[in-house]
Amino acid sequence: MLQEAQNAGVAITGADLIVAAKYLAAGFCMAIGSIGSAIGEGMVAAHALDGMARQPEMQGALMRTMVLGQAITESTGIYSLLVAIVLLFVV
Amino acid sequence: MFEQLAGLLTHLGEKRIAVLNLSGFEIRFDVMTILMSWLVMALLVLLAVFLRRGLRQRVEEKPNRVQAGLDILVDLIKGQLTSNFASERLAVSMFPFIATLFLFVLLSNWLGVVPYMMSPTQDLNVTMGLALMVFVVSQVLAVKAKGARGYLRSYIEPVPFLLPLNIIGEISKPMSHAFRLFGNILAGSILVTVVMVKFAPIVFPPILQVVFGLFFGAIQAFVFAILAVAYINVAVES
Repeated sequence: MLQEAQNAGVAITGADLIVAAKYLAAGFCMAIGSIGSAIGEGMVAAHALDGMARQPEMQGALMRTMVLGQAITESTGIYSLLVAIVLLFVV
Repeated sequence: MFEQLAGLLTHLGEKRIAVLNLSGFEIRFDVMTILMSWLVMALLVLLAVFLRRGLRQRVEEKPNRVQAGLDILVDLIKGQLTSNFASERLAVSMFPFIATLFLFVLLSNWLGVVPYMMSPTQDLNVTMGLALMVFVVSQVLAVKAKGARGYLRSYIEPVPFLLPLNIIGEISKPMSHAFRLFGNILAGSILVTVVMVKFAPIVFPPILQVVFGLFFGAIQAFVFAILAVAYINVAVES
Protein backbone atom coordinates (compact mmCIF):
# COMPACT_ATOMS: atom_id res chain seq x y z
CA MET A 1 0.00 0.00 0.00
CA LEU A 2 2.91 2.26 0.89
CA GLN A 3 4.57 1.33 -2.43
CA GLU A 4 1.39 2.10 -4.36
CA ALA A 5 1.03 5.44 -2.68
CA GLN A 6 4.63 6.33 -3.44
CA ASN A 7 4.20 5.22 -7.04
CA ALA A 8 1.11 7.37 -7.38
CA GLY A 9 3.05 10.30 -6.05
CA VAL A 10 0.90 10.68 -2.94
CA ALA A 11 2.85 11.25 0.23
CA ILE A 12 1.67 9.62 3.44
CA THR A 13 1.33 12.40 5.94
CA GLY A 14 1.31 12.35 9.71
CA ALA A 15 -2.50 12.64 9.78
CA ASP A 16 -2.82 9.38 7.83
CA LEU A 17 -0.54 7.65 10.29
CA ILE A 18 -2.64 8.89 13.18
CA VAL A 19 -5.82 7.55 11.56
CA ALA A 20 -4.15 4.19 10.95
CA ALA A 21 -2.85 4.03 14.51
CA LYS A 22 -6.31 4.93 15.81
CA TYR A 23 -8.01 2.00 14.07
CA LEU A 24 -5.21 -0.39 15.03
CA ALA A 25 -5.37 0.70 18.64
CA ALA A 26 -9.16 0.31 18.77
CA GLY A 27 -8.92 -3.19 17.30
CA PHE A 28 -6.18 -4.30 19.71
CA CYS A 29 -8.06 -2.70 22.60
CA MET A 30 -11.14 -4.80 22.00
CA ALA A 31 -9.24 -7.97 21.07
CA ILE A 32 -7.03 -7.99 24.17
CA GLY A 33 -9.52 -6.39 26.50
CA SER A 34 -12.29 -8.88 25.92
CA ILE A 35 -10.12 -11.94 26.68
CA GLY A 36 -10.30 -11.51 30.41
CA SER A 37 -14.00 -10.88 30.70
CA ALA A 38 -14.77 -13.74 28.30
CA ILE A 39 -12.77 -16.23 30.39
CA GLY A 40 -14.27 -14.87 33.59
CA GLU A 41 -17.85 -15.12 32.36
CA GLY A 42 -17.23 -18.63 31.07
CA MET A 43 -15.93 -19.69 34.48
CA VAL A 44 -18.96 -18.17 36.19
CA ALA A 45 -21.33 -20.02 33.86
CA ALA A 46 -19.42 -23.30 34.22
CA HIS A 47 -19.52 -23.24 38.00
CA ALA A 48 -23.17 -22.19 38.05
CA LEU A 49 -23.96 -25.15 35.78
CA ASP A 50 -22.00 -27.41 38.12
CA GLY A 51 -24.12 -26.22 41.00
CA MET A 52 -27.35 -26.58 39.03
CA ALA A 53 -26.48 -30.15 38.02
CA ARG A 54 -25.74 -31.02 41.63
CA GLN A 55 -28.81 -29.31 43.09
CA PRO A 56 -31.49 -28.65 40.47
CA GLU A 57 -33.83 -27.19 43.12
CA MET A 58 -31.40 -24.26 43.59
CA GLN A 59 -31.67 -23.25 39.92
CA GLY A 60 -33.49 -19.95 40.48
CA ALA A 61 -31.06 -18.57 43.03
CA LEU A 62 -28.05 -19.83 41.08
CA MET A 63 -29.31 -18.28 37.87
CA ARG A 64 -29.80 -14.90 39.55
CA THR A 65 -26.36 -14.96 41.15
CA MET A 66 -24.81 -16.10 37.88
CA VAL A 67 -26.30 -13.20 35.91
CA LEU A 68 -25.16 -10.76 38.59
CA GLY A 69 -21.66 -12.21 38.65
CA GLN A 70 -21.41 -12.15 34.89
CA ALA A 71 -22.57 -8.54 34.78
CA ILE A 72 -19.85 -7.55 37.25
CA THR A 73 -17.23 -9.58 35.39
CA GLU A 74 -18.33 -7.97 32.15
CA SER A 75 -17.46 -4.47 33.36
CA THR A 76 -13.75 -4.77 32.45
CA GLY A 77 -14.81 -5.71 28.92
CA ILE A 78 -17.14 -2.72 28.88
CA TYR A 79 -14.28 -0.44 29.95
CA SER A 80 -12.15 -1.59 27.04
CA LEU A 81 -15.16 -1.11 24.75
CA LEU A 82 -15.50 2.48 25.99
CA VAL A 83 -11.80 3.09 25.36
CA ALA A 84 -12.21 1.70 21.83
CA ILE A 85 -15.23 3.93 21.20
CA VAL A 86 -13.34 6.97 22.48
CA LEU A 87 -10.42 6.06 20.18
CA LEU A 88 -12.72 5.68 17.18
CA PHE A 89 -15.04 8.65 17.59
CA VAL A 90 -13.36 11.20 19.82
CA VAL A 91 -9.58 11.10 19.23
CA MET B 1 -33.30 4.70 1.09
CA PHE B 2 -29.62 3.74 1.04
CA GLU B 3 -28.50 7.38 1.04
CA GLN B 4 -30.58 7.94 4.16
CA LEU B 5 -28.91 4.93 5.79
CA ALA B 6 -25.44 6.22 4.91
CA GLY B 7 -26.43 9.47 6.59
CA LEU B 8 -27.12 7.49 9.75
CA LEU B 9 -23.53 6.29 9.84
CA THR B 10 -21.93 9.67 9.26
CA HIS B 11 -24.07 11.19 12.01
CA LEU B 12 -23.31 8.33 14.42
CA GLY B 13 -22.53 9.61 17.89
CA GLU B 14 -23.38 13.20 17.05
CA LYS B 15 -25.30 15.13 19.63
CA ARG B 16 -27.67 18.08 19.31
CA ILE B 17 -26.49 20.37 22.05
CA ALA B 18 -28.68 23.28 23.05
CA VAL B 19 -27.14 26.18 24.95
CA LEU B 20 -29.20 28.12 27.44
CA ASN B 21 -27.58 31.46 28.23
CA LEU B 22 -28.51 32.85 31.61
CA SER B 23 -26.68 36.20 31.60
CA GLY B 24 -23.20 34.80 31.06
CA PHE B 25 -23.86 31.48 32.80
CA GLU B 26 -24.16 28.86 30.08
CA ILE B 27 -26.16 25.69 30.52
CA ARG B 28 -25.60 23.02 27.88
CA PHE B 29 -27.90 20.09 27.44
CA ASP B 30 -28.59 17.34 24.93
CA VAL B 31 -32.02 17.94 23.43
CA MET B 32 -32.60 14.38 22.26
CA THR B 33 -31.73 12.81 25.62
CA ILE B 34 -34.01 15.17 27.54
CA LEU B 35 -36.92 14.67 25.13
CA MET B 36 -36.52 10.89 25.26
CA SER B 37 -36.30 10.78 29.07
CA TRP B 38 -39.43 12.93 29.26
CA LEU B 39 -41.11 10.52 26.87
CA VAL B 40 -40.17 7.56 29.06
CA MET B 41 -41.46 9.35 32.15
CA ALA B 42 -44.70 10.28 30.38
CA LEU B 43 -45.15 6.68 29.22
CA LEU B 44 -44.61 5.38 32.75
CA VAL B 45 -47.06 7.87 34.25
CA LEU B 46 -49.67 7.15 31.56
CA LEU B 47 -49.21 3.42 32.08
CA ALA B 48 -49.65 3.85 35.82
CA VAL B 49 -52.82 5.92 35.39
CA PHE B 50 -54.22 3.51 32.82
CA LEU B 51 -53.53 0.45 34.94
CA ARG B 52 -54.90 2.13 38.06
CA ARG B 53 -58.16 2.82 36.21
CA GLY B 54 -58.38 -0.82 35.15
CA LEU B 55 -57.87 -1.87 38.75
CA ARG B 56 -61.13 -0.29 39.94
CA GLN B 57 -62.95 -3.27 41.40
CA ARG B 58 -64.21 -4.58 44.70
CA VAL B 59 -61.91 -6.67 46.85
CA GLU B 60 -64.20 -9.69 47.09
CA GLU B 61 -64.53 -10.06 43.31
CA LYS B 62 -62.09 -12.30 41.51
CA PRO B 63 -59.08 -10.41 40.04
CA ASN B 64 -59.47 -9.02 36.54
CA ARG B 65 -56.83 -9.11 33.83
CA VAL B 66 -55.10 -5.86 34.79
CA GLN B 67 -54.73 -6.98 38.36
CA ALA B 68 -53.38 -10.37 37.32
CA GLY B 69 -50.77 -8.67 35.11
CA LEU B 70 -49.76 -6.24 37.82
CA ASP B 71 -49.50 -9.11 40.29
CA ILE B 72 -47.00 -10.82 38.00
CA LEU B 73 -44.92 -7.63 37.70
CA VAL B 74 -44.90 -6.93 41.43
CA ASP B 75 -44.14 -10.56 42.21
CA LEU B 76 -41.22 -10.46 39.77
CA ILE B 77 -39.71 -7.35 41.34
CA LYS B 78 -40.36 -8.57 44.88
CA GLY B 79 -39.17 -12.12 44.33
CA GLN B 80 -36.12 -11.42 42.16
CA LEU B 81 -34.93 -7.99 43.30
CA THR B 82 -36.02 -6.77 46.71
CA SER B 83 -35.96 -10.22 48.32
CA ASN B 84 -32.16 -9.90 48.28
CA PHE B 85 -32.25 -7.17 50.93
CA ALA B 86 -30.89 -8.12 54.33
CA SER B 87 -34.02 -7.25 56.31
CA GLU B 88 -37.70 -7.38 55.48
CA ARG B 89 -38.19 -3.79 56.69
CA LEU B 90 -35.53 -2.51 54.29
CA ALA B 91 -37.06 -4.51 51.44
CA VAL B 92 -40.50 -3.00 52.03
CA SER B 93 -39.18 0.55 52.35
CA MET B 94 -36.92 0.29 49.27
CA PHE B 95 -39.44 -1.47 47.01
CA PRO B 96 -40.79 1.71 45.29
CA PHE B 97 -37.27 3.02 44.59
CA ILE B 98 -35.96 -0.24 43.13
CA ALA B 99 -39.15 -0.85 41.12
CA THR B 100 -38.99 2.69 39.67
CA LEU B 101 -35.34 2.27 38.73
CA PHE B 102 -36.05 -1.06 37.07
CA LEU B 103 -39.08 0.16 35.11
CA PHE B 104 -37.38 3.40 34.02
CA VAL B 105 -34.23 1.66 32.78
CA LEU B 106 -36.25 -1.13 31.14
CA LEU B 107 -38.48 1.27 29.23
CA SER B 108 -35.52 3.49 28.26
CA ASN B 109 -33.63 0.51 26.86
CA TRP B 110 -36.65 -0.68 24.93
CA LEU B 111 -37.32 2.77 23.50
CA GLY B 112 -34.18 2.45 21.35
CA VAL B 113 -35.92 -0.26 19.29
CA VAL B 114 -38.53 2.19 17.97
CA PRO B 115 -37.38 3.92 14.76
CA TYR B 116 -36.40 7.62 15.14
CA MET B 117 -36.22 7.14 18.90
CA MET B 118 -33.11 6.90 21.03
CA SER B 119 -32.54 5.21 24.36
CA PRO B 120 -31.92 7.89 26.99
CA THR B 121 -29.59 5.37 28.64
CA GLN B 122 -27.11 5.63 25.77
CA ASP B 123 -26.20 9.04 27.20
CA LEU B 124 -23.68 8.82 30.02
CA ASN B 125 -25.34 11.70 31.87
CA VAL B 126 -28.57 9.75 32.36
CA THR B 127 -26.93 6.57 33.65
CA MET B 128 -24.53 8.57 35.82
CA GLY B 129 -27.51 10.44 37.29
CA LEU B 130 -29.26 7.18 38.12
CA ALA B 131 -26.09 5.69 39.60
CA LEU B 132 -25.45 8.82 41.71
CA MET B 133 -29.01 8.56 43.00
CA VAL B 134 -28.31 4.99 44.16
CA PHE B 135 -24.99 6.18 45.64
CA VAL B 136 -26.62 8.95 47.68
CA VAL B 137 -29.38 6.63 48.89
CA SER B 138 -26.85 3.98 49.96
CA GLN B 139 -24.65 6.53 51.81
CA VAL B 140 -27.63 8.11 53.60
CA LEU B 141 -28.94 4.70 54.64
CA ALA B 142 -25.45 3.69 55.80
CA VAL B 143 -25.20 6.78 58.03
CA LYS B 144 -28.70 6.05 59.36
CA ALA B 145 -27.93 2.40 60.07
CA LYS B 146 -24.47 2.79 61.61
CA GLY B 147 -24.53 6.32 62.97
CA ALA B 148 -22.08 9.04 61.88
CA ARG B 149 -19.25 7.61 64.00
CA GLY B 150 -19.71 4.06 62.78
CA TYR B 151 -20.00 5.29 59.20
CA LEU B 152 -16.72 7.20 59.40
CA ARG B 153 -15.04 4.30 61.16
CA SER B 154 -16.01 1.96 58.33
CA TYR B 155 -13.54 3.86 56.13
CA ILE B 156 -10.51 3.09 58.33
CA GLU B 157 -11.30 -0.60 58.67
CA PRO B 158 -9.49 -2.96 58.90
CA VAL B 159 -6.47 -0.62 59.23
CA PRO B 160 -6.29 3.22 58.85
CA PHE B 161 -3.61 2.71 56.21
CA LEU B 162 -6.34 1.55 53.78
CA LEU B 163 -8.31 4.83 53.90
CA PRO B 164 -7.51 5.96 50.32
CA LEU B 165 -8.32 2.51 48.96
CA ASN B 166 -11.68 2.49 50.74
CA ILE B 167 -12.55 5.92 49.35
CA ILE B 168 -11.58 4.85 45.83
CA GLY B 169 -13.66 1.69 46.27
CA GLU B 170 -16.72 3.75 47.27
CA ILE B 171 -16.33 6.12 44.32
CA SER B 172 -15.72 3.38 41.76
CA LYS B 173 -19.08 1.76 42.58
CA PRO B 174 -21.34 4.40 40.96
CA MET B 175 -18.83 4.81 38.12
CA SER B 176 -18.84 1.14 37.13
CA HIS B 177 -22.61 1.05 37.72
CA ALA B 178 -23.14 3.89 35.23
CA PHE B 179 -20.53 2.81 32.67
CA ARG B 180 -21.86 -0.74 32.48
CA LEU B 181 -25.37 0.29 31.41
CA PHE B 182 -24.10 3.10 29.15
CA GLY B 183 -21.53 0.91 27.39
CA ASN B 184 -23.93 -1.94 26.78
CA ILE B 185 -26.71 0.18 25.32
CA LEU B 186 -24.38 2.40 23.27
CA ALA B 187 -22.53 -0.62 21.85
CA GLY B 188 -25.83 -2.26 20.92
CA SER B 189 -27.08 0.81 19.07
CA ILE B 190 -23.75 1.35 17.27
CA LEU B 191 -23.58 -2.30 16.22
CA VAL B 192 -27.14 -2.30 14.88
CA THR B 193 -26.52 0.93 12.93
CA VAL B 194 -23.26 -0.30 11.41
CA VAL B 195 -24.75 -3.65 10.37
CA MET B 196 -27.81 -1.89 8.96
CA VAL B 197 -25.76 0.55 6.87
CA LYS B 198 -22.81 -1.57 5.82
CA PHE B 199 -23.91 -5.21 5.52
CA ALA B 200 -27.59 -6.04 5.44
CA PRO B 201 -30.20 -3.29 5.46
CA ILE B 202 -33.26 -5.54 5.13
CA VAL B 203 -33.35 -8.76 7.16
CA PHE B 204 -30.68 -8.62 9.86
CA PRO B 205 -31.45 -5.36 11.71
CA PRO B 206 -34.77 -6.55 13.19
CA ILE B 207 -33.12 -9.71 14.54
CA LEU B 208 -30.25 -7.71 15.98
CA GLN B 209 -32.72 -5.23 17.44
CA VAL B 210 -34.54 -8.05 19.20
CA VAL B 211 -31.29 -9.45 20.61
CA PHE B 212 -29.58 -6.18 21.53
CA GLY B 213 -32.58 -3.96 22.16
CA LEU B 214 -35.14 -6.19 23.85
CA PHE B 215 -33.14 -9.09 25.32
CA PHE B 216 -29.97 -7.29 26.46
CA GLY B 217 -32.06 -4.26 27.40
CA ALA B 218 -34.13 -6.37 29.79
CA ILE B 219 -31.04 -8.11 31.19
CA GLN B 220 -29.22 -4.83 31.72
CA ALA B 221 -32.24 -3.25 33.42
CA PHE B 222 -32.43 -6.27 35.73
CA VAL B 223 -28.68 -6.11 36.42
CA PHE B 224 -28.85 -2.37 37.10
CA ALA B 225 -31.63 -2.85 39.66
CA ILE B 226 -30.01 -5.88 41.30
CA LEU B 227 -26.69 -4.03 41.59
CA ALA B 228 -28.50 -1.11 43.22
CA VAL B 229 -29.92 -3.63 45.71
CA ALA B 230 -26.47 -5.10 46.29
CA TYR B 231 -24.78 -1.69 46.81
CA ILE B 232 -27.45 -0.53 49.27
CA ASN B 233 -27.24 -3.87 51.07
CA VAL B 234 -23.45 -3.71 51.41
CA ALA B 235 -23.55 -0.10 52.62
CA VAL B 236 -26.15 -0.88 55.29
CA GLU B 237 -24.72 -4.21 56.38
CA SER B 238 -20.93 -3.97 56.66
